[in-house]
Amino acid sequence: MKPLMLHGHERSITQIKYNRDGDLLFSSAKDNHPCVWYSINGERLGTYEGHQGVVWAIDVDWETKRFMSGAGDNMLMIWDVQTGKALGKIEAKTSVRTCNFSYSGNMALYSTDSTMGNPSEIFIIDVRTVDSSFSTNDPILQIPLTNAPKATSMVWGNLDEVVISGHDNGDLAQWDLRTGKKINLVSEHAKSINDMQLSKDGGFLITASRDCTAKLFDADTLDCLKTYKTERPVNSAAISPILDHVVLGGGQDAMDVTTTSTRVGKFDARFFHLVFEEEFGRVKGHFGPINSLAFHPDGKTYASGGEDGYVRLHQFDPSYFDFKFDY
Amino acid sequence: MPVADNEVKSSWADDVEDIDGLGLPPNTEEYKNGLKIITEYGLDDDNRKFKVVRTYKIEKRYVAKAIAQRKSWPKFGLSKEDKPGPNPATTIVSEDVSMQFITNKEDPDNKEDDPLMKLKSMQKGVVKCRICKEDHWTTQCPYKDTLLPVQEALNKAEEKKVGPPPAAAAAGGPQAKGGKEGSAYVAPALRDGGNRKGETMAMGRRTDEGCTVRVTNLSENARDSDLNDLFGKIGEISRIFLSKDKNTGQSRGFAFVSYKRKEDAERAIKTLNGFGYDHLILTVEWSKPSGTQ
Repeated sequence: MKPLMLHGHERSITQIKYNRDGDLLFSSAKDNHPCVWYSINGERLGTYEGHQGVVWAIDVDWETKRFMSGAGDNMLMIWDVQTGKALGKIEAKTSVRTCNFSYSGNMALYSTDSTMGNPSEIFIIDVRTVDSSFSTNDPILQIPLTNAPKATSMVWGNLDEVVISGHDNGDLAQWDLRTGKKINLVSEHAKSINDMQLSKDGGFLITASRDCTAKLFDADTLDCLKTYKTERPVNSAAISPILDHVVLGGGQDAMDVTTTSTRVGKFDARFFHLVFEEEFGRVKGHFGPINSLAFHPDGKTYASGGEDGYVRLHQFDPSYFDFKFDY
Repeated sequence: MPVADNEVKSSWADDVEDIDGLGLPPNTEEYKNGLKIITEYGLDDDNRKFKVVRTYKIEKRYVAKAIAQRKSWPKFGLSKEDKPGPNPATTIVSEDVSMQFITNKEDPDNKEDDPLMKLKSMQKGVVKCRICKEDHWTTQCPYKDTLLPVQEALNKAEEKKVGPPPAAAAAGGPQAKGGKEGSAYVAPALRDGGNRKGETMAMGRRTDEGCTVRVTNLSENARDSDLNDLFGKIGEISRIFLSKDKNTGQSRGFAFVSYKRKEDAERAIKTLNGFGYDHLILTVEWSKPSGTQ
């Protein structure tokens, strides 16, 4: 396959996401302008200018009308996807580390970092109307995680009634939105959870952790179903929408890099079989650890964003679709 | 996905007109047979003209209405000035990579370690360090500084016990001297095993008397001590001359070994000619072409 390298960011990529139809790919990086690209040919549509810090997380609603980004300048901003205009913003006490639109697009959640004096908090907000008064609206729900490890990754759960959070110490928690209480807590990972993604139907959840494994959970009960082991911290994982495959991307902490060979393009995305937990393929190409992975909704292409600042769009060869795992 | 090809640097400079002051023809955009061909000219770092031809395939695809509408949105932000189609600064076609399939039986990292492991196990018998007995040359030993003096002290202690009585008195002198001050310098002539009269050119000639063999095809890691080891097993060596590069100290590939007895030299040729040492096969022969045989 001849991947397309998208070079829109000068610093490392923090997150990439496809919209629901798959024709647009959004990317955010440690520079302050998230980009949007046409996934079919890698053409850049535009950038969202306004943030003044690292953009940690992004999300787009299901209609591809609004785009949300959370950054290190303590701002959560909502933009019009088409024009790049900022519709509204919310100022938080600390960096906004995660942001997600709900399935319906009527609510959104975001979480903040914990610093001295401020615990990490989870906010649920109403986004039906976003305008200049947006910043003054009260959140629907605010959950401070006082004396608890900070939330590093979040996803919306079943029917927008539940949110699932991944924490700095490897815990997974489920929160009921009507009561605001934690209804489930699972401690399967030993170290921080870097990324969580749902499967296409929302039945599974895959978590990528610094403890060098990725785990597959049932999204409702948080039972750990499968574990995918590697030798490097896993920064991101995604589930294929059409096949029984998962892809893991990771790398090493910066300080370890000097002890390994620095051959160009050595960092790879690893493909595991969902059920058998065994690795069956690798795709090299990145010059730095992979920070974010996403499958195209049709499962025929995937994108990876790395520490090197490049987003690589790969279209699978027929050999990938013909590959039969021997068992 | 549409494909873009890059071709660079064709020699056309003669047939193209000089249009603008820089001496570069204008960039062109052509549409031909469903292909868009963009030709750009420029000057590279050495002030040479170059031409880049990019070919884009224009495809027509049928997609959902919403997707088609989005494709016609005007660009914004940093891409506002971009023309339709991918901007080469932001979108680059990367080199071919293919998914490396791994069968479930193979250990994924095995590919890299395997040849190294094979070499290691093969080489184990050939090169052996005298200090730590591992498979490297003595001079390359990581424990050269620490273990070597210990070994030498041990050897000296042995020699003291086993050494011939007449030599003991003479040897006792300089050794005691050395022993007293620990590591005091002892002149070569006064050291144990040294020729007290001193070596002169005339005296030195003795070694050339038909007991000298020429060794060629030595590896660059070979050192005097290694030759001593290897050839010393055949018989008593009177002199070794190993040609070395002045700066690096590495062997130039040949050496002259002089034995005390001619029979030893003969035996050396018989046994060591064709001997595999390091990664090369040695050639051992009489040092003069007209050598006695």
